[in-house]
Amino acid sequence: MADEALFQFLHNELIQYVYKSSEQGEMENARCITKLENMGFRVGQGLIERFTKDTARFKDELDVMKFICKDFWTSVFKKQIDNLRTNHQGIYVLQDNKFRLLSQLSAGKQYLEHAPKYLAFTCGLVRGGLANLGVKSIVTAEVSVMPACKFQVMIQKV
Amino acid sequence: MMTMLGGEPFLLVSKQEQQNYPLYIRSVPSDSELKFHYTVHTSLDVVEEKVSAVGKVIVDQRELYLGLLYPTEDYKVYGYVTNSKVKFVIVVDSSNTSLRDNEIRSMFRKLHNSFTDVMCNPFYNPGDPIQSKVFDSMVSSMMVQTC
Amino acid sequence: MEPHEEKPIIYTMENKPIVTCAGDQALFTSLYNSLTQQLPREPMEWRRSYGRAPKMIHLEANFVQFKEELLPKEGNRALLTFPFLHIYWTDCCDTEVYKASVKEDIVRWQSLLRLHSTTDWLIVVVESDTKKKNKTNILPRTSIVDKIRNDFCNKQSDRCVILSDPLKDSSRSQESWSSFLTKLRTLLLMSFTKNLGRFEDDMRTLREKRTEPGWSFCDYFMVQEELAFVFEMLQQFEDALVQYDELDALFTQYVLNFGAGDGANWLCSFCQPLRSWNGLLLRRPIDMEKRELIQHGQASLLDLRSYLFSRQCTLLIFLLRPWEVTQRALELLHNCVQELRLLEVSVPPGALDCWVFLSCLEVLQRIEGCCDRAQLEANCSHTVGLWTYATEKLKSLGSLCGLVSENGPNSEDLNRTVDLLAGLGAERPETANSLQSPYKKLKEALSSVEAFEKHYLELSHAAMEMYRAIGRMRSARLVGKSLAEFYMRKGDPQRAEAFLQESLKSYLAEGWALPVAHTRKQIAECQKQLGQTDEYLQTSALLASDTHLTDMERKHFCQEILSFAGQTAEGHAQKVVLSMNAFAQLRQLQFRPATAVVHVGAALELELSLRSLMPVPVRLEQLAVSVHFSLEKGGARGRAGPGGGAGNRGRVGQGQGSPCGTVLFPGESPPGALPRSQPPALELYEIQDRSPSDGALNSAGVVCKNVHLLLRRQDSSASLDTPSSTAVAVEDGAQLLKTHDVSLLPGNNNILFTAPSREPGTYTLRQLCATVGRIQFVLPHIYPIVQYEVYSQEPQLSVEPLADNLLAGLPQRVKFIIVTGHYSIKRGDALQLSNSDAMPILSSSGCVARVLSSDSELVAETTLSMQSSEKVTSVSLPLAPPYHSVEFQLEVQCHIPAGPVRPESERLTNGEPWHRARSRQRTSSGMSVVDQKISIDCPWSIYSTLVALTFYIPFKAKHLLLSSGKRKYIQVCLQNVSDMNFHVSDQQLAERQQSSSLWLQSLNAKAKQLVHSKQSVFCLWEVKWTCEPPASLQCVFSINFCPADAQRSVFTPYYYEFQLDNVSTLYSLSADIQPAPGEQQCRTGTLCGLEVSIVRLAEPSDSEQQDEGPVETGGFCTTKLMYEVVDNSSNWAVCGKSSGIVSMPVAANATHKVRMEVMPLFAGHLPFPSIKVLKYLPHNAPSTIPPDTDGCVENDNISLLDKGLDDQADTSSIRSRGSVHSLGGGSEQQQRGLPMPRLEPFGPGQVFNRSQGCQVLVLPSKDDHVLEVNLT
Repeated sequence: MADEALFQFLHNELIQYVYKSSEQGEMENARCITKLENMGFRVGQGLIERFTKDTARFKDELDVMKFICKDFWTSVFKKQIDNLRTNHQGIYVLQDNKFRLLSQLSAGKQYLEHAPKYLAFTCGLVRGGLANLGVKSIVTAEVSVMPACKFQVMIQKV
Repeated sequence: MMTMLGGEPFLLVSKQEQQNYPLYIRSVPSDSELKFHYTVHTSLDVVEEKVSAVGKVIVDQRELYLGLLYPTEDYKVYGYVTNSKVKFVIVVDSSNTSLRDNEIRSMFRKLHNSFTDVMCNPFYNPGDPIQSKVFDSMVSSMMVQTC
Repeated sequence: MEPHEEKPIIYTMENKPIVTCAGDQALFTSLYNSLTQQLPREPMEWRRSYGRAPKMIHLEANFVQFKEELLPKEGNRALLTFPFLHIYWTDCCDTEVYKASVKEDIVRWQSLLRLHSTTDWLIVVVESDTKKKNKTNILPRTSIVDKIRNDFCNKQSDRCVILSDPLKDSSRSQESWSSFLTKLRTLLLMSFTKNLGRFEDDMRTLREKRTEPGWSFCDYFMVQEELAFVFEMLQQFEDALVQYDELDALFTQYVLNFGAGDGANWLCSFCQPLRSWNGLLLRRPIDMEKRELIQHGQASLLDLRSYLFSRQCTLLIFLLRPWEVTQRALELLHNCVQELRLLEVSVPPGALDCWVFLSCLEVLQRIEGCCDRAQLEANCSHTVGLWTYATEKLKSLGSLCGLVSENGPNSEDLNRTVDLLAGLGAERPETANSLQSPYKKLKEALSSVEAFEKHYLELSHAAMEMYRAIGRMRSARLVGKSLAEFYMRKGDPQRAEAFLQESLKSYLAEGWALPVAHTRKQIAECQKQLGQTDEYLQTSALLASDTHLTDMERKHFCQEILSFAGQTAEGHAQKVVLSMNAFAQLRQLQFRPATAVVHVGAALELELSLRSLMPVPVRLEQLAVSVHFSLEKGGARGRAGPGGGAGNRGRVGQGQGSPCGTVLFPGESPPGALPRSQPPALELYEIQDRSPSDGALNSAGVVCKNVHLLLRRQDSSASLDTPSSTAVAVEDGAQLLKTHDVSLLPGNNNILFTAPSREPGTYTLRQLCATVGRIQFVLPHIYPIVQYEVYSQEPQLSVEPLADNLLAGLPQRVKFIIVTGHYSIKRGDALQLSNSDAMPILSSSGCVARVLSSDSELVAETTLSMQSSEKVTSVSLPLAPPYHSVEFQLEVQCHIPAGPVRPESERLTNGEPWHRARSRQRTSSGMSVVDQKISIDCPWSIYSTLVALTFYIPFKAKHLLLSSGKRKYIQVCLQNVSDMNFHVSDQQLAERQQSSSLWLQSLNAKAKQLVHSKQSVFCLWEVKWTCEPPASLQCVFSINFCPADAQRSVFTPYYYEFQLDNVSTLYSLSADIQPAPGEQQCRTGTLCGLEVSIVRLAEPSDSEQQDEGPVETGGFCTTKLMYEVVDNSSNWAVCGKSSGIVSMPVAANATHKVRMEVMPLFAGHLPFPSIKVLKYLPHNAPSTIPPDTDGCVENDNISLLDKGLDDQADTSSIRSRGSVHSLGGGSEQQQRGLPMPRLEPFGPGQVFNRSQGCQVLVLPSKDDHVLEVNLT
């Protein structure tokens, strides 16, 4: 993984760029989130390919999720997910109490309205990773007090 | 037969949703190429069988290398499945005795490594056939060795 | 040692280690049973050499009578016949007897043993009381034993054991039994360890010698197998198997080395040509024939392998691992084939196939023999391999023996068959009586075409079933494919096609190009044979476009199509419809103009680029795009006109519509393969969850709007439909874009169409259809949707002024613009303008009409001809084609209406935008306007168009009534509010009711004068009358004007009407200021006297009667006035009361004087303080506001009052009521009916102030500066 700071700066610029280009009317603002998410998706695909190169085959879905929370998260965000919860029906909630990409923004409610942009990429990252492991999913996110945030993973039952 | 002495690496992706589209197929040019295609395609059965066995079987081997999928009169077919459900299949002429399990395993590792590089290449769109020259040359070098 | 002795032992698998028994046979036989029973009861731990894990084994023994021959001679390594222990039995308890016979016997026995250097022996002394009873000379019990021990076992006393009362059931006997058995077991095991150890050592040394020239694998084989036998004998199957596997590995290695070049000469025996190929035989524990062959070095490779495997198989089945058997079997068979190749063994064609076939079936039957159905079904995955292998082999045999050809086997086929069968030899006794034996099957299968078919199908179906059962669909299909090939050979394409189609499906689904191409070729063959023309053509098209075929093949299939197309349609004229996507791909569509929006009849070009997949140029009779036409909803386009088309550009291909009007079609995935089904893209949005109480942000997040779509599982099977001609249907009756005689070259071709644009509406491109002779290639749906629009525009007339605003009263130019739309102006078409005398159309000759095309370039210029009757003016229009515009200008003049006109701000607000804008910016100017409507009849519609023009009145007039004493003057102010300069002349003022007693005397200049923009002229008249002054005057002011810059001055009149009430003067005021008494002059700071005298001038008029409500007081009526002295210039300080109420008698010359004191505050000529007189009406007086006669006028006033003081002034002079309103407060209270006295001012002319503007000289006082101080 690239140096943390570099990654964060790049990420910020990414968001800036995407939203700028939307102001110039290249696309409507609503699509920015989606665009960011898609970028994340592709990156996730690549990353997971690397990260799982030398790991044993996964037993099951939960095994995969654990990998995401531990190894994947650590490699990307230099820390593990703090709390993983599931209803055993394909919904997982990953809680990160100090999410790297938000920790620079604020500690609390300030700039809360901007938080989503800073989560979209990661949503894609997770979705891409899972997809590449053959787990089709939708990843959404929620923040109430920064820099803590929750990612919800809905998995498609095949 | 001597023309195809050595490895016949076939590489194909099989994400379940991507219906086992071959990402990459390469073989020492020979008249029996078609036969390889059939053989490899059929071998997917065994690959899937083995992969799905993971977790179910009491002694589930979690290794990515699946070992010999099945022997035929003329070929030995080996399999390997990455965690990202990419299936690698190598077909070797059964008369080729120089390749033991370990050689095959390391061939697969090589394939996997450079496939990973392909995946991380921004110009590669996951699921498309692989056009990477690097990958190509890697495979050819591998095939030369095996002869 | 003779084999006839060996055999029986080996044959029965009841082998047990041999234990010889010497001595008292009777005694032994009595004990034999219990011995054989009890020995295996207890397991014994066997510690083994070479660090092999110790094992618990149950020992058994085969007790045989001691014979010398049993003792192995030197060099004989037969382990099975090896006696591991020798026991001597005696129950002698009498020394004499011992000395006499027993001792010698034992000695002899021992010597024999020693001779054969066996040290594994045991002497058993059996004691029984029964014997002792009848003995008299009792010796101590142990003595015999001791003797024996002394005599024989010199240091190893344990070689002699006592067994007491073995036949009694006493605790004592049991003890001795168990101790004896333990001993026996121990000794046995010791012997095993010792002897096996030695054996293994020898074996190893032998193996080390394998590089030496003389070494023979077969010999070694025999040796190691011996070991295996022993282990087997000891029930150590695992160990036994190991022996065989080692042999297997060793042999394999030799063969491989041979292949690599260094051949051991013993291998040559295995290289001999193959003579017999009767398959594996697994029904006996040991196949002696083969074993002997091996033993005597005559075994062929197959013999060795078969034997080896049969042994492994046996052991595996003992170990309950049948599935390993099947797996090993498959490997073995493959391996053998390889080894024969490596050793370059000459194998008659088909021999190997026979062998493999037989072997497969043998293994399968063996397994079936030892498992029940359920197990078998559960383990198909292990057996299926063998089934398919057998199937393949049988198939190749069949084709070899000419059993799959349509016309049976020929003579040489038969010869071959005979040879093959010969190689099988006679059936083995084991299987002789089983009907299903592989041998019989093979013989039968090769016996006749029918039999072969039966067996082959049986096997194939079995294999397919199993594959299906375990979900190996691809494998199943592969079997199906070879079955199909079989059927083809049999000339039964019907059956074949089904299988082929099925496997084609899966290859397509998974995008395996080569198999697809290959299978398609086969299918094509079927279809051709079946005469399924359409299908065949479709497939040929696919093949012709398939790059995985050679050029030759592609050309061939292409030719197939073309030649069919070339045939003259006899019988059915019905064209053959094929799907286009195999033939050519639609790459892109381009519209010209790019907007893809045109008006009816306009030219719209459509260029489509088509990529031909055929290997050769193809000539199309016709290429057509069928178009679906739908009337567009709402006339939106009609009004929007061409420009508006831009808005709908999106219509050109959803999404793909690029500004340049091109629609790109997604590049097809490799021919034949299906494009991967893309899951719907997910739509994410930001959400913000605010708390309902205060808008504070609770949380923000990213949500997905189309979860339901994404999480719906899409079935992959949906996409697996091969392009079948049935799916394609040509829609007919639709409009078509056509081109004829196009020749499609391989690769991209651009074809140009002209799109029909007769009807207005939306045209959607539906299908693309290429016709080649009898064949039509159809692209059933053009997606993304491509549409173009044809609109029809209603003709329309618009009229706008040239100047930025029209002035009333002057000739003004107005521009007429006609947009013809779909209407074409014919000869004689004319506009009928309704004349209105308020605004005549000045038919100015030589006005020119310009005809412009839709992109506004001049097409024609003609002079207009106009006829005007008193009703209408008709303007005959120049000829103009549709979607052009005609422009011309007309001159109109709007007469200025006399009398009050509505002010601009009051104008109806439905004016055109360009009016509205101006009127807004000019409200301050207060320019009055006139709306003029012309109704115009246009040739294209039965309804007449109403055009509203707004004219601005350039002038504005005000009037004023002036009086001096009783004399009256009327002043009119004419203001030029326009931006132009005017000449005005002969202004006149006329009274309406021309009473001779009254005339107006003009005091104005005669000459015409110039009024610049925003300037005013004033005119004055004196009102003169003879008898009595008029109560009110109805005046009409008129003046002529013409623009200052007009060449020939045509004067137009401007009228202004107004009314004056209460003209005559009622009171005259006069004031006088007297210096303080004794002073000649007024001085600042000193009080002066001010005397105001009010004189009634006129008799009361009846209007007054009801107006001022006079009161009867003392005989004659009086009216109350209020006077007020105010000095707003603060020159004067009014001392005492400055206002008061006086009651005036209503009679001429009635006078009233008021005195008060005022003090000048400054020195100099000071104007008099102003004096006001107002009507004072007591509260009981009736309201003076009469019931309103004319609401709108009233409103006018109000709005006027809002508008600024000058207006207020003049209207208050028009109507007293106006001023009432301007007063506000009082009147409103009045209207609320509060009982309060009310003040009303007099009309401007009613009170004449004589001392208006009078001044009085005030001298400064002596000590004015002190005063200054005081004041300040």
